[in-house]
Amino acid sequence: MRVLRSQIFWQVAAVGLLIWLGYILAQNIEANLAKSNIVLSFDFLSAQAGFDISESLLSVSATSSYGAVILAGVINTLVLAVCCIVGATIIGVMMGIMRSGGHYLGERIAGLYIEITRNLPKLLILLALYLAMVTTLPVVRESWSVFGLIEISNRAVYFPIVEQGFGLWWLWAMIAVWPIAICVLGKVARRIQDKTGIRYPVIWPVTMCVLILIAGPAMIGLIDYQISWPVLKGFDFAGGGRISVQFVVLVLALSIYHGGQVAELVRGAIASVPVGQFEAAKASGLSFAQMTRLVILPQAIRAAVPSMGNQYLNITKNTSIALAVGYSDLVSVMTTSINQTFRPIELMTVSMCVYLGICLIVSWLVNIYNARVIAVRA
Amino acid sequence: MEQTIRAQTTLPPKIGFAEKWRRRLFGNLRDGILTMILIAAVLGLGSVAINWLVINAVAPWSTADLCREATGACWPFLVEKHRLILFGTYPWEQQWRPFMASLILLIGVGVSMVPHWQDKRLIWVWLGLAVTFTVLMRGGVGGLEYVQPERWNGLPVLLMLAIFGLVFAFPLGLFLALARHQDKLPALRAIAVLWIELVRGVPMIMVLFLGLFVLPLMMPDDIKLNPLITTMIALVIFHSAYFAESIRGGLQTVPLGQYEAADSQGLSWFQKTRLIILPQALRIAMPGILNTVLGAYKDTSLVVIIGIHDIMATAKMSFSDPVWQRYGLEAYLFVGGWFLATCWCLSSYSRWLERRTS
Repeated sequence: MRVLRSQIFWQVAAVGLLIWLGYILAQNIEANLAKSNIVLSFDFLSAQAGFDISESLLSVSATSSYGAVILAGVINTLVLAVCCIVGATIIGVMMGIMRSGGHYLGERIAGLYIEITRNLPKLLILLALYLAMVTTLPVVRESWSVFGLIEISNRAVYFPIVEQGFGLWWLWAMIAVWPIAICVLGKVARRIQDKTGIRYPVIWPVTMCVLILIAGPAMIGLIDYQISWPVLKGFDFAGGGRISVQFVVLVLALSIYHGGQVAELVRGAIASVPVGQFEAAKASGLSFAQMTRLVILPQAIRAAVPSMGNQYLNITKNTSIALAVGYSDLVSVMTTSINQTFRPIELMTVSMCVYLGICLIVSWLVNIYNARVIAVRA
Repeated sequence: MEQTIRAQTTLPPKIGFAEKWRRRLFGNLRDGILTMILIAAVLGLGSVAINWLVINAVAPWSTADLCREATGACWPFLVEKHRLILFGTYPWEQQWRPFMASLILLIGVGVSMVPHWQDKRLIWVWLGLAVTFTVLMRGGVGGLEYVQPERWNGLPVLLMLAIFGLVFAFPLGLFLALARHQDKLPALRAIAVLWIELVRGVPMIMVLFLGLFVLPLMMPDDIKLNPLITTMIALVIFHSAYFAESIRGGLQTVPLGQYEAADSQGLSWFQKTRLIILPQALRIAMPGILNTVLGAYKDTSLVVIIGIHDIMATAKMSFSDPVWQRYGLEAYLFVGGWFLATCWCLSSYSRWLERRTS
């Protein structure tokens, strides 16, 4: 193709303008920073942060470095995102199936739910839910006890945990074995079904086996799970684990908000399955549950994957509203650090890179899945 | 004989009212169980809601003193505070100005929604609206008292940020979409791709913080940016990327033949784009664009996190006073009602437009 002179002109002009603009802005930044004696550098990441994160999977304290605190924030964001994704998927799939399931009342209730969540800002849902929970839940000293196992107060939810030791190790091992066993045995069962036509159940037997392996050794005294119970001491509970009410509210609010959007996607995906598939499934004598699980959902999921991936990315990005209720996610750690160090450029660069990285990884995974699905279809 | 059989099979079976509902709700065991669960849930939630909203609530015309004993909603609170939620700390006697300013913006949106009027004239309408809005809110001319931007709060701030943010973001998004959709100018395309993907890869709050922290650093000494302006710039940058992607979706559906036909007519690039490609692409992209508008309008409420006093902030303000501390849910209900009503109008408009074009 012949390159026109005007093409070169416009491109040079655009790039030149951008470089010129960038140069001016960079100079301004330099001048402004020089005035307050700040030099751009990432050295501060190893300096002592001096603020604490209330809940985190990493153990950070007031003496940790900025790098460690930011990492804890990243992990908090990821944990929150995973919980919200699971919650939104459960609510969304249920509501989406109900919306297109043919039940008169169910269709209308799911429609109302989708309409309401579609028309309300997520921040409003979050703040209203937070306010409602903080005012209706009891204070720590009068916390509600659920069967003596879980204590619920307006500060946190307290629950017993298994303490460090062989018991905890065994528990984690079993939790890891569970999905692997289901995958492997599921493949074996499918091969048997392909060959002989007999369907063996997999999920329930495996789950029962895992539960027996967890509970059995403890009953005959082989393993001693050292359980730490939450006990009220003074103004707070000691021992056990806790999840702050902020985290619970965030997961609830974002799951409800995004559940509506997931439900719309699920409804659209189900609608994209040809009517003939429903009729064929019914004619084969499948029950509603079998039809949904074996015929409709496998086809609907393929149609839904790209938009679901997008939706999951949105959920991950939207966890940043955690700042509004004071949960220490990445953005909230970032703003605290900016206020302390006044290094907005470095800190925002780090956080933006983290978010962009998450986005890239998720889109890469969705692309891989898509490629596989297209290969199956072809 | 044959005729009677045909008559029997083609006539729809006559079912009564009760039978129709019985089949709808209890047609089989699964439906029946689902119906029972749903009715229980609706009754449970509904009774809580009605108790709080009506039965245990204090009527709006009674005095607020009654609220202290009531377990339901306190409607006198909203009667007392609705002007604070709507217009915040804007001088009390001058509050007709934010009211009028909000009203003209809403009327402007209404006018822009009429398909028949969507042409070049809208640019002038919106320029005029921007000037009128600023004059009304800021004052200082024509005998209007000057009001500092720090005292602009509530509804007009929400509408200003949402509407002007979107109005300015749209042309930018259009430009980005066109730049990304072509392959003649790869450098321009690379810039557009970078812009769109960078912005879409980070949360809106990050972009708002960029506006709050980094934008002022980028300015020369003598320019002090108003927080409302920096927020507006951040919103324009953010929304433009999303607009670009919805418009690009429309551009991709325009058949190649349309481009070739336009080229063979000897149209210039500008003529081709304006007269042939965009009218088709925008019509197809309209549902996506309106979806972006809806999301952007709702997300404008996030500006409260960076300290801009929109309607969420004034709602918080209304119950920060210790006397009224218990009535936060009422304030949020008020704001929720506003968003439900306006968003519902937007989504009905979107559905109407879709039906009209298809």
